[in-house]
Amino acid sequence: MKNKVMKTMPDLSRRDFIKASTALGAATLASPASRMFAGGSDKIRLGLIGCGGRGTYDTTNCLNCAENVELVAMGDLFADRMERCRSRLTEKLGDKVKVTDETCFTGWDAHKKVLGCDVDLVILTEPPGFRPSHLRAAVEAGKHVFMEKPVAVDPVGVRSVIESSELADKKGLTIVAGTQSRKMAHLIEGMKRIHNGDIGEIIGGQCVRLGGGMLTWSEQTKQRQPGWSDMEWQLRRWLFMTWLSGDFIVEMHIHNLDRMNWAMGAHPVQCIGMGGRQARTGPEYGNCYDHIAVEYEYPGGVRIEYMGSQIDKVTYRQDNRVIGTKGKAYTDSGNLIIEGDKPFKYDGPSPSPVIKQHADQVAAIRSGKHLNEGKRIAESTLTCIMGRMSAYTGRALKWDWAMNASKLDLSPPKYEFGDLPVRPVAIPGKTQLV
Amino acid sequence: MKNQATPKNHKLTRRDFVKHSALSLAAFSTSASRLNAAGTDTIKVGLIGCGGRGTGAATQVLLSTNTPVKLWAMGDLFQDQLDKSYKMLSEGAEARYDRDAFKSLSSRMDVPKSRRFVGFDAFKGVIDSGVDLVLLATPPHFRPEHFDAAVAAGKHVFMEKPAAVDPTGVRTLLAAGQIARQKGLSVVAGTQRRHQNHYLDILKRVRDGAIGEIVAGHCYWNMSLAWDQFKVPKTPGMSDMEWQCRNWFYTTWLSGDHICEQHVHNLDIINWGIRDHPVQVIGMGGRQARTGPEYGNIFDHFACEFEYPNGVRVLSMCKQNKGAAYHVCERLVGTEGRMYTDQAVGYIKDLKDNVTYKYDGPNENPYYQEHRDLISSIREGKGLNEARNIAESTMCAVIGRMSAYTGRALKWDWAMNASKLDLRPDKYEFGDLPLRPVAIPGKTQLI
Repeated sequence: MKNKVMKTMPDLSRRDFIKASTALGAATLASPASRMFAGGSDKIRLGLIGCGGRGTYDTTNCLNCAENVELVAMGDLFADRMERCRSRLTEKLGDKVKVTDETCFTGWDAHKKVLGCDVDLVILTEPPGFRPSHLRAAVEAGKHVFMEKPVAVDPVGVRSVIESSELADKKGLTIVAGTQSRKMAHLIEGMKRIHNGDIGEIIGGQCVRLGGGMLTWSEQTKQRQPGWSDMEWQLRRWLFMTWLSGDFIVEMHIHNLDRMNWAMGAHPVQCIGMGGRQARTGPEYGNCYDHIAVEYEYPGGVRIEYMGSQIDKVTYRQDNRVIGTKGKAYTDSGNLIIEGDKPFKYDGPSPSPVIKQHADQVAAIRSGKHLNEGKRIAESTLTCIMGRMSAYTGRALKWDWAMNASKLDLSPPKYEFGDLPVRPVAIPGKTQLV
Repeated sequence: MKNQATPKNHKLTRRDFVKHSALSLAAFSTSASRLNAAGTDTIKVGLIGCGGRGTGAATQVLLSTNTPVKLWAMGDLFQDQLDKSYKMLSEGAEARYDRDAFKSLSSRMDVPKSRRFVGFDAFKGVIDSGVDLVLLATPPHFRPEHFDAAVAAGKHVFMEKPAAVDPTGVRTLLAAGQIARQKGLSVVAGTQRRHQNHYLDILKRVRDGAIGEIVAGHCYWNMSLAWDQFKVPKTPGMSDMEWQCRNWFYTTWLSGDHICEQHVHNLDIINWGIRDHPVQVIGMGGRQARTGPEYGNIFDHFACEFEYPNGVRVLSMCKQNKGAAYHVCERLVGTEGRMYTDQAVGYIKDLKDNVTYKYDGPNENPYYQEHRDLISSIREGKGLNEARNIAESTMCAVIGRMSAYTGRALKWDWAMNASKLDLRPDKYEFGDLPLRPVAIPGKTQLI
């Protein structure tokens, strides 16, 4: 029965799905996860979708986070990426890697083929522009999902991720997002204290991450090679293409802005931003900006300022700070310090957050515990996206509009290797708010 | 004696000045120009810089008071600017954003051709023409030199904001401002919010603790392309120097960039509320939309974080982009409430963002009030002196720009005492002067 549902799902829209599921009855949804885990050590069969550096890293951590986790399938758009990842994983992890030539896939539908294998959990680490459609396919196929941040590049994608996450809840699937800050012991303790009122009522904050031009990223693709179509060139340089990465505020600084949402216990209600491309201007850097500043307004008129850049040879700074009526909390990736009425400095253990994020998920899968970070990471992703949209257009915008009304959809007309001009770099006042 | 001091002071550092002034304090004690308090003496006004703002300031000083005030001399770099301004003042003009419409002011003018000066040294002619008060409204670059010369000559001063474009100029301002204080001269700056009732009321409340301890702030001058009509393309036959001086707003060495030229208003309010200047800044910015050569070498957007004592951080944003959301205001956040001010209103709010106090008293037009306050200070010998305020607010804008241009964080003390940035051209004459390249963070050096 459940397999039948799975087969019909992929073509259903969210609206259709609700109708269909109502018609089919709750029983069909009660046990739709791909496999039930009765004990605490059942084997978990892992599939990897997106075999770049991050995919290799996450897979390594996932295979090492608990006993009895095996990689059984992998897929990437490019054969060279897939092969390199496969040999590195095999070399490092030996017989935890059970992939065969028959379970290694390349091409635009590699993700579907991985999902078609007998896997329980998939890691989604392709460029963020693909995340919404891959998440949807994975959840519809009844797979647990670990997905890297960010999880979308536009509001249309964010809405899709939220729908897929709701579907995952209905199916009892777990979703974990790669915002490892959330697993850092010092931040967990610090946020608990902030939420307990140790710095009083939150009335302001800063989120700063400046410096680091990423100029040496993927050096071998800097020079466009003969024979690369526009599409291939952009995919190989995905970090600097807004439709693939979402720009650096989304791709990288989501970690920092996610921590602000965490501290605030809310997402922003509106924002106003600015930015541009002043130092990193060559064509190999696609159409991303190199600096963005955004003022986010949270409920109650609390303003948090974000400043981010990726520029070399400037003052480097990373700084997350929350200000309350009775103190200040520094919530950086390395330290947790509270100053004020109830001073505190975390000096407890700091287990690896990148292992813990996988271990927690594997444990949740085995115990049938609810664990779904999809909506939260979608909201943090939209926080970043709306900041970028404001910087690109020069317009102020509201969360509700971005979440419900924005039609921005950066996906290309078709997914195939061929002509695809790089969209021009955004110009505030000219680039339209969509 | 006082004239002797001038050429030296011009080259003195702040430290030198303090030594120097201590030795010769007596020399300054009788230098303010003599005007009686009864208001019957005519105050003779010299206008230095006859552009739109200078012409506006002249009308406002003449119309701000019923006591006798007369425009006595005018000076500008360009004959055509001077002629246009003279004609306008004599015949009347339409309203502008910073000026009401006015009819002929010729009954309050006595500016024969012999007291109309043109050229790079026009300011000297005006200062030496027998005036009591000078209005300094040239492009900001020239302000420190003009202010210094006016104070040395014992003139009261109204100076437009900003008052410098680099740390070297700010140091000159501070030194001359001290001399002005010792001489009892009145100095008012064109940060007219300081003379606007709702600002005065709200800022007093904030300074008296209405929002508790200040812990954060925000200020903005985000707007569309209001200055677009003032761009001047370079035409054949126009020297580099002439073009840059005519297109001064878009040329960093002349305007200081728009963070100085415009946003200084908002930064001034933050300094006023916090009762201090920042200790350090980190900023960013660029030129993303306004990129044509007619836009010189200034940026079109800046975002800076100014850190004040006790870790209080203030976000400053300013941009000039077509279609940008208009956002010109100041906010301070305290442990017990918030301040909101803009050109029209001032509020105190609680921590839930509810308005708990709103200024609803009378509000005089601040462009007149600032001159009214100046004239009364001159007549009553009150020695109102805003030089330090405007020097510090200008320095905020200057260090914000320096940080954005270079990508480097910098400290106030370093900028004030050690920065050697001096945007003056090698010589002031019409001729070749290649436009300096647009700044690139990480490449443009911090000097």
